Amino acid sequence: MHDVSQDFFGGVFSDKIEGGRAAAKISINSYGLVAETLEEERFEIPFGECQLDKGGASGRMIFCRNSDRSITLFCEERGFPKALETLSTGALSGQLRAIQLKQRGHEKTFLFWLTVGSVMTLIAGVIGYYALIAATQAAVAALPISIDENIGSVAIKSVDLHARLDAGHVATKLVNDIVKELEPHSAIKGLNFRVMVVDEPTVNAFALPGGQIVVYTGLIKKAKSAEQLAGVIAHEMAHATLRHGLKGVGQSLGIIAAIQLVTGDVGGLLALSTQLAQESILTSYSRKSETEADLEGARMLHEAGIDPKNMADFFQMLEKLEGDIPDLLAWISTHPQHADRIARIEDYQKQIPQKPYRLLELPWEEVQNQLAN
Amino acid sequence: MKHELLCQPAATAIRFSLEQGDELTCEVGAMIAMTKGITVETTSKSRGGSGGIMKGLKRMFSGENFFLNHFTAQQPNQSLIIGPTMLGDCIHHSLSGGSMIVQGSSWVASDSGIQIDTTWQGFSSAFFSGESMFWVKCSGAGNLFLSSYGAIYSVDVDGEYTVDSGHIVAFEDTLQFRIGKAGKSLIGSFLGGEGLVCKFSGRGKLYCQTHNPPSLGKLLGPKLKPR
Repeated sequence: MHDVSQDFFGGVFSDKIEGGRAAAKISINSYGLVAETLEEERFEIPFGECQLDKGGASGRMIFCRNSDRSITLFCEERGFPKALETLSTGALSGQLRAIQLKQRGHEKTFLFWLTVGSVMTLIAGVIGYYALIAATQAAVAALPISIDENIGSVAIKSVDLHARLDAGHVATKLVNDIVKELEPHSAIKGLNFRVMVVDEPTVNAFALPGGQIVVYTGLIKKAKSAEQLAGVIAHEMAHATLRHGLKGVGQSLGIIAAIQLVTGDVGGLLALSTQLAQESILTSYSRKSETEADLEGARMLHEAGIDPKNMADFFQMLEKLEGDIPDLLAWISTHPQHADRIARIEDYQKQIPQKPYRLLELPWEEVQNQLAN
Repeated sequence: MKHELLCQPAATAIRFSLEQGDELTCEVGAMIAMTKGITVETTSKSRGGSGGIMKGLKRMFSGENFFLNHFTAQQPNQSLIIGPTMLGDCIHHSLSGGSMIVQGSSWVASDSGIQIDTTWQGFSSAFFSGESMFWVKCSGAGNLFLSSYGAIYSVDVDGEYTVDSGHIVAFEDTLQFRIGKAGKSLIGSFLGGEGLVCKFSGRGKLYCQTHNPPSLGKLLGPKLKPR
């Protein structure tokens, strides 16, 4: 018999105690467990009779019952299971392992449900996001065109138009004529297209919601033909007819509104919408919108009898130019991945029935000469 | 220190008869009346124990107040009356070395032999049962006073026992508490109006309340006018 023993703080259940329960000092010796209450009542359970279980509010409490269940000792201290294992010299190892396995089982079940819960939340979030986008798109389609025009007229104020060429200038006339060729084939009717040509070396063009089209002379100079210019203009007109500006604002606002609905903050919504209307329209459309505008532009060109390949050719030319004069190519920065876009236009052309295309009868040479001077 | 439960069970208050030097820690706002010779000190600490701001914050998470009020009798023969916020009963529980896990707002008062701490009862209890994630853990040796919404009853659990969520007041630390479904099938449990319930296992004392505050809230909430 060794006199090695370890003491722990715990408690004991027994009908012999008043109230059935008392705090106790639990000692483990080489024979078994001994609990001693403050009233100096002693309760003993030899290792041979010990039935172990784990539980309690923390889930870490070890219970030890004798064979007729008249005495239950319990202890929550950390070193308790280890001391039981060591001092019982293996007699309780099997039971200790069993309760440990039971605990792991519970942990696994918990982890399983935690994972299921997280995945479900994620899926709900993704579905919610796309449902929100679909809803805003549908809502935008139902709005009158006058809203596009209002946004466009706000947005144009932040565009620097001081170098704008007058309506009588050959370049303005040329772009106007191209717009007139394409207009009958636009996706929605009732848009009032207005052309502004700005005399700046920037290779850029954009359309604002409502149909205001801004073309920089830098882009006209870089284009190899009136048909190539028509390709770019068709693309920009498509942004306006597909109402990408409004959809973009609606989407951003919708997401912000949804977030604010959840967080309960409504105050900033108004300020944000004004800011978005001025900034996001002018900066860039999403990749998806660009692809849509490419295909819609190609369709408009095809309908108008102009070869959509001209649009692809213009992208190709820009791709070659890239690197030579990077800061001039603002149009590229908002219109990335031209290789993909060229391929997409070519794919589109394979799908549609072939038809003879015409050349535009426009004073291309004259415009180029005028702009060169 | 002697105590007496007044006006049981519908609107119980507790009257303490304090001798000089007796101390009592109470929930903020619990005091109803007191005699002249009692001083009140408000801190975020448990008397004599550790604590401070973190303990105070933890208490807030469990639905208790950040601050605690400590009442000390400076003269003999003092009387202090306290009462809980909700309409209902109060009980006295004598702790002798073990711990009691108390549902957020049910702790009313305890004497200086009891430490008040917060204990984590897991995500599942909070998300699925409407119970709090944190509970108040009272441990040590001394007198503990708990309140309920409605009347209070105690059960000596040995084995398994099921209580609907929202009806738990407190339970001894020797009891394990899990969330489970009331019936065999989950859908049936919800259709039966029981939803998820709290299942206790092990051995120990459990206090339950006859009514539950969330149900009252659900009943009244929709009828209130928005501000």
